[in-house]
Amino acid sequence: MKPIRSLAVLAFSVVLSAACARSATSSSGEYFVYFGTYTGFTYMKEGLPAGTSHSKGIYVSRFQPATGVVSTPEVAAEIVNPAFLAVHPNHKFLYVATEDPLSLGPDFDHESFVSAFAIDPNNGQLRLLNTLPTGGTSTCYLSIDKTGRYVMMANFGSSSVTVLRIKDDGSLGEQAAFMKHIGHGRDPSFQSQAHPHSIDVSPDNKYAIVSDLGVDKVFVYKFDAATGALSPDEAPSVEMEEGGGPRHFVFDARGKFGYSLKEMSGFVTVLAWDPANGTLSNIQDARTLEPNFVGGSDSAEIAIHPNGKFLYESNRRFRGPDLWGPDTIGVFAIDPEKGTLSAVEQVAPGGTMPRNFAIDPTGSYLFSGNEYSGNVALFRINGDTGKLTPTKTDLKIDAPVSIVFVPAEK
Amino acid sequence: MRRIRHAFFSVILIIFALATLTKPAARAQDNDYFMYVGTYTGFKYVHHSRPFGKGEAKSKGIYVSRFHAASGELTPPELAAEIINPSFLTISPDHKYLYAISEDPLSLGPPLDHSSYVSAFAIDHSTGKLRFLNRVPSSGTSTCFVSIDKTGKYVMMANFGSGSVSVVRVRDDGSLGELTSFIQDVGHSVDRGIQMEPHTHSILVSPDNKYAIVSDLGIDKVLIFNFDDKTGKLSPPDPHFATVYPGGGPRHFTFDPAGKFGYQLSEMSGIVDVFAWDPSQGTLTTVQRAHTTPHDFFGSSHSAEIEIHPNGKYLYESNRRTKSETERAPDSIGVFAIDSKAGTLTPVQESPTGGVMPRNFKIDPTGEYLLSGNELSNNVVIFKIDTRTGKLTNTGREIAVDTPVCIQFVPVQP
Repeated sequence: MKPIRSLAVLAFSVVLSAACARSATSSSGEYFVYFGTYTGFTYMKEGLPAGTSHSKGIYVSRFQPATGVVSTPEVAAEIVNPAFLAVHPNHKFLYVATEDPLSLGPDFDHESFVSAFAIDPNNGQLRLLNTLPTGGTSTCYLSIDKTGRYVMMANFGSSSVTVLRIKDDGSLGEQAAFMKHIGHGRDPSFQSQAHPHSIDVSPDNKYAIVSDLGVDKVFVYKFDAATGALSPDEAPSVEMEEGGGPRHFVFDARGKFGYSLKEMSGFVTVLAWDPANGTLSNIQDARTLEPNFVGGSDSAEIAIHPNGKFLYESNRRFRGPDLWGPDTIGVFAIDPEKGTLSAVEQVAPGGTMPRNFAIDPTGSYLFSGNEYSGNVALFRINGDTGKLTPTKTDLKIDAPVSIVFVPAEK
Repeated sequence: MRRIRHAFFSVILIIFALATLTKPAARAQDNDYFMYVGTYTGFKYVHHSRPFGKGEAKSKGIYVSRFHAASGELTPPELAAEIINPSFLTISPDHKYLYAISEDPLSLGPPLDHSSYVSAFAIDHSTGKLRFLNRVPSSGTSTCFVSIDKTGKYVMMANFGSGSVSVVRVRDDGSLGELTSFIQDVGHSVDRGIQMEPHTHSILVSPDNKYAIVSDLGIDKVLIFNFDDKTGKLSPPDPHFATVYPGGGPRHFTFDPAGKFGYQLSEMSGIVDVFAWDPSQGTLTTVQRAHTTPHDFFGSSHSAEIEIHPNGKYLYESNRRTKSETERAPDSIGVFAIDSKAGTLTPVQESPTGGVMPRNFKIDPTGEYLLSGNELSNNVVIFKIDTRTGKLTNTGREIAVDTPVCIQFVPVQP
């Protein structure tokens, strides 16, 4: 009886996946690539904005993973400082953090905003649904929970994380959670107070991981997907090296390991993830800087290849005041059993200040957003070795700092 | 002709007033109010901005008494709603809803707190009990103040710990909706203890609902935001402001009933700054810096609440004075006469409070009584107001409530 039932389930699954595949073929196999930018300035220096930007908001290109062809970016929506983007799981909505309209930097900012946009599946244009305060300042990161009912934000300036409800029509509703971080770290300038830099749910949607650059800790909150609440007030955390500055965090594809990138030290700490207890335990502190490098790492983004075999992280290095570079994107092989990292290569990002990069959903290409040089460089990814090869594609976009993909219809 | 019409109206008014006074059955009801008392449930009181005596408060939430204004009597308090640390309350203009903050569930004090909340309640006008509607975060820590705009569509909060103010939409059913505005104050002032960072202590709209006045104890500023009651938005993020004497610590603010003057009470200095209010420009201009402490007093004023009598003639402010770390000075409620033309203050009386630590008091809507909430002695004391002189007399009547820190009145007849 049991095998027969399993067989029936299997048959049903096959039919279902065939149906899904057919509906998928009505999409083009192409993607819209959205680029978030700073419209008010081009980069941060000493924690304050510097330079000028001519960007008008969020840009969109059409991208063919089969050929690597990317169309010229067009304005998808005019908006102030769309510094971070997140796509709803249903691909219908895009959420954007406006990192303070006045752009005066963490200690001087008064308010940040989050906007909801509906995505036009034909041309990729964005239609504004609504805009609400994030409940914090210098909001630098946002993500969506697995149910698509909550957007979560890290408010770097005011040391808090906030969760807002997403209504059925994709617009933003009431605040569901607010947590203030307290404490400080070793670095007298960037760690004189808490600075949450990212927040992401665990693969089972039961926890929210918050990287706090100011207190050198990665917090594990319980997340209640029924109410949007985070708990407890004093969440358990895993301590990182002093002065490291945890910035971004990723889970591996199977949800067994977590990887924390530290902005100042450039270390990637590999952590074993126990979803039953919601605990992270340190396995490895992987160095991304060469042993002979003297200077700062300013590491920024971290991502794992869809095949789960390789980890990428970007570095905006400096060797002293006004001695920039060399910037790199580091490639690491992931041990499938232990989760540990071994260095593959460090490549130039095709520009300066790679604050953000993204791997396309097919795993064929990596887009490097180079904030200071105002370009997005395209790299071909070798899925067997993880290695990056530069292509000739180079998109001119002022201060590109966030890159996301949405499947496009024909 | 004009004088005749005036006389005619006066006669009508007198007849109407007499009719009201002699209407036997309805009279008691008409003059009855629900008096709501907010409390701290998690600790006894706040000392040096930190909770003191943790776990000692027996309070369970918001309490309600019936206040019979004709006789000045209060019924024994009953629990109206269980809620954690409802340290400030506000009532909707239609008297249907009460909004209460929860000043941090853990009650660890400003630098150590993580989250505060605001809750909406529907008022049951037959019993005075409160029915919980919903709760949202206040988007700040150690939230110590909540008010509601004139339309009743927005509640506004001052988040003392994190130095911000937030505005939340009120839905048609009285429940709380989305955050419509969030402003983080920046800066510091001269006191190295409490003024190292911003500490917003109160926010309330101007009489025309076009501005929101924010008192920031940490930066010695009274900020004047434009308020848009179509969107609930405060602007600009860096507004113009009035200043108080450095180290003063602006805490609570009130407009006079005519909307011509603003009165800012500073917690540490005990000074009341009198400002001329220009509603067309949204500006406060200093008129007088009135001292509330006696000239021979040395110590800290710890002034708390400020209110103007409904007749517009008298101003009241409470003081929780200390002479040193360990020695408490006599607490007082200061009474001042307001010059009707100049808005300036002249001292009338320094009244005892009938208890210890008068963090809050309230004048009843008829203007006949003042009720003093004494946080540390756990009592609400009823004072009779002489409406011709402004002077207070202790009636000798009081009710026992644990850590009473906010008093609000609602007419029993909605």
